[in-house]
Amino acid sequence: MGPSIQYYCPCLSGFPVQTPPPPHVASSSASFHPLHSLFFCEECDAVRCNRCVSIEVSGYYCPNCLFEVPSASVRAEKNRCARNCFSCPICRTTLSVVASDPPDEGDGRSSSVPLSTVGEPPFFLYCNHCRWDSAEVGITFEKPTGLAAQLQKFEDSAAESLEFERLKEHFEPFLRTSSLSSSSHLPSVASHHMHTSSITAAASAALARDIPGVGKYNPHTRSRAGRDRTVNRDEMPEYKSRVEVGLFSQLGSGGDEGDVEFLTHIETAGEVAKLEQRWGNSWTTSLKTSDLRPLRIPLHSKVSKRCPTCRHILIKPEQKAQSVRYKIKLVAANYLPAMTVALPSPQSGPDASRRVPAKVPAAGDEKNFTLMAGKSYPFHLALTNPLYDPIQVRLSVQRMHVTASTDSTAPEKARRTPFAVSLPTSSFPVAAFAEAWEYDDDEDMFGVEDDELGLEPIGRGSKDRDGRGKVKTVGVLERRANVTVVGGEVVIGKEARGHVKFNMLVSYTYRSDDPLPSEDGAGTPSRVNAKAPEVKTFTFYTVIDLGPITPREESKVEADV
Amino acid sequence: MAPIRDKFTIHSKAVVCQDVELKGDITIGPNTVVHPKATIFAIAGPIVIGAGCIIEEAAIIVNRRKEVMRIGDSNLFEIGCRVESPSIGNFNTISTRARVHHTVRISNYCVIGAACLVVPTEDESLEDYTTIYGPAADRRVWSGRGRVQEADLRHKHAEYLREMLPKFNRLRRGDGA
Ligand SMILES: [Zn+2]
Ligand SMILES: [Zn+2]
Ligand SMILES: [Zn+2]
Ligand SMILES: [Zn+2]
Repeated sequence: MGPSIQYYCPCLSGFPVQTPPPPHVASSSASFHPLHSLFFCEECDAVRCNRCVSIEVSGYYCPNCLFEVPSASVRAEKNRCARNCFSCPICRTTLSVVASDPPDEGDGRSSSVPLSTVGEPPFFLYCNHCRWDSAEVGITFEKPTGLAAQLQKFEDSAAESLEFERLKEHFEPFLRTSSLSSSSHLPSVASHHMHTSSITAAASAALARDIPGVGKYNPHTRSRAGRDRTVNRDEMPEYKSRVEVGLFSQLGSGGDEGDVEFLTHIETAGEVAKLEQRWGNSWTTSLKTSDLRPLRIPLHSKVSKRCPTCRHILIKPEQKAQSVRYKIKLVAANYLPAMTVALPSPQSGPDASRRVPAKVPAAGDEKNFTLMAGKSYPFHLALTNPLYDPIQVRLSVQRMHVTASTDSTAPEKARRTPFAVSLPTSSFPVAAFAEAWEYDDDEDMFGVEDDELGLEPIGRGSKDRDGRGKVKTVGVLERRANVTVVGGEVVIGKEARGHVKFNMLVSYTYRSDDPLPSEDGAGTPSRVNAKAPEVKTFTFYTVIDLGPITPREESKVEADV
Repeated sequence: MAPIRDKFTIHSKAVVCQDVELKGDITIGPNTVVHPKATIFAIAGPIVIGAGCIIEEAAIIVNRRKEVMRIGDSNLFEIGCRVESPSIGNFNTISTRARVHHTVRISNYCVIGAACLVVPTEDESLEDYTTIYGPAADRRVWSGRGRVQEADLRHKHAEYLREMLPKFNRLRRGDGA
C-alpha cells in the first residue's frame, strides 16, 4: 500500500481533550477515517464520523425488486423479501422461476417446435449462473406465483423457529407487565453513553421493545429494578422446550455426531457448504452443500444520520428505493480540503537510481519503494479546496511522545527519535473551487505566479535550491486550479523501525458568510485584516502514513546483493 | 511453422460478418452467426464449426494443434471469450471473458462462467453438464432441467441475429461462393 492520509474525528477522545491519540498506538486507527466517510455538522462546526452519528432507519426495501416494504410487514416477513426474490444458495445470484421442460424428444435439438409461452408445472427456482435448481433439494411449485409465502412457511416450520415462537409466547406475559415499568429506567441507558442523544435513546428504547423474546438486560438498572423483577421472576412458570437440545442434530440442523459422520466420509471439499453459503441463513443449517436451500433475499434499509450533539440531520436519502440521491448531504469532503500524500519516485536522490531496482520487485509499483532507516525522503501533499472561496492553509506536525514502553529491547536512540518531519512553516493559499467551464483559458488554470500569491520564501521552503544545490523539497511546489501541492521531508533515524506515521494539524482560514461571535472557540479569526470580511479558521487533525521503515541491517544486506 | 494456407468454407446459410479475422483452414456450418470483430485462427490444424453456433464480438477461437478442432452445434461464445479447446460438443456456453486452454475438451451442455479461467496443465475432458462458475472457477454438475427451453432460446437468439446482423453489416462469403 502506498502512503495514506486519514482524518480525525474527536468523538473517541475524552471531552476536554481534542487531540488525537499517538499514531503508533494500534487503537488510534479507530479515531481516523478516510475523508469520504466523514460528515460535517454546520451547527457544531465539527467533523462527525460513522461511529458517533446516530442512525435512524427511514425505510426498508428489497435490493432486487426495489419494493419498499412497509415497516409493519418487515417483522412478519422476517426481514426478507416476500415477493419473488430469491438468491442462489450456492453462488448468491438471483434465481429465476422456470417451468419444467416439455417432454424431451431425444437430443433436445427438435427446437423447431415452438414451446408454449406459459410453461408447464412443476415450476422451480433456477440459477442462471451456476445452474443450481431447487428441484435438486426437492422444492418445486405448482404455480409460478406466491413462492415466497410457500418458502416462508417452510422457514417458519424450522425447529428453531418454532422454539423461538414458543419462547416469545412464554415471555409475553412477563414482558407486558415489565413494559409498564420499563419507561422509568430507560433514560439511565442514555445518560450512560456520553454522546447518546435523546434520539438515540428513543431508538434504543424502540429496539428493546422490538425484541419481545429477549429479556431487557440492563446492568445499570438491575440493582434498582431488582426488587420488582424478582417478584416477576417468581411468578413465571418454568420454560419447557419443545425439543430436547440434543435432538436438534436429528432435525437436519447439524451438530454433534451427524456432522462427524458426514465429515469423515467426504470426498471433495465442495460437499461441505462454505461459511458464506450458510452465513445468510436465519437458522443453523446442515453442513452439507446438498442441503442448502434457496434464500429469500434479505431487505436493505435506508438510513438517515444525525449529529450526536445537536441532532441536526447530516445525511438523509430520498425515500424512494429507486433513487440514489440525498435530500440532505453534509459530507466533510464539501468542507475540508481533500488531501493526498505521495512519495515522489526517488530518481532525484543521489544514489537512488542505483539502489531502487534492487529494492523494487519485478511487479514494480513505483509508489511502493521502501523507506530506509538513516535516509531522508521528500514527500508531496496535494490539497484540493472544495470551497467557493480561496483558503489559507497552515500545516504543523503534532509533537510526538514517542514509542516508549512498547519495545524495551530497542536501543534508547530508536525510541527517542525515529524520524523528523519538516513541513512548510508558513501558511499557503489554495485557490477556490470553480467548475471547469469557469476557467477562461489554460493560464487561469495553471500558471499562477508566486508573486501574485504574495508568498514569502521562508526558512527551508526557500525559493529554488538549498546549499547543496538540490531542488527544493519543502514548500509550495505547484499550484493549479483549486489544488496546491506542497513538499515536505522526512529524515529517518539510523535505528528507526516501524512506520513513518505522524499526526498533522491542519488549520485553514476562509471567508465566513455568517459571522459568529468570537467567544465561539472554533470561529476565532487567526488573521484579522481591516479590509477583509469576516474570516474563520477551522482546525482538524490528520494522520499521515508514509509507509514502513526498512531497518538498517536489512537494507545493508540488500544493498550488497 | 509452415505457412498457413487460408481456406474458408462458409455455408450459404451462415451469417459471417465482413469484419472478422479468419486465418487458416476454417469451415463454418449452416445457421451459425459470427459477429464483427470475432477472431478465428486455425494456426496449426483446421477448425470446423457446426450449425447454429453464435460467436460474439471479440471472441477468439484458436486451434494450436495439428488435428482438426471440431466445434459442434448450438454453442454460444460470448463477448471476449478465448477458447483453444481441441474439441467442443453441442449446446455449450462459453461466457464473457472466459478462457479455456487447449488442454480442455468440452463435451455437451457445459457452461464456462464469466471470466473463469480453465487452464489445467494436464489434458482433461469436461463431462456433459459441467458448470464452471465464480471467481474461484468452482465446478458443479447441472441437472439438465431447463435445457430444452434453453436450447429453444439459443435457437431463437441465432434466428434473430441472422435476421438483424445483415441489415447493419456486410457479410463474408466462403471461397466457393
Ligand atoms: Zn466520530
Ligand atoms: Zn424483492
Ligand atoms: Zn447459483
Ligand atoms: Zn451538530
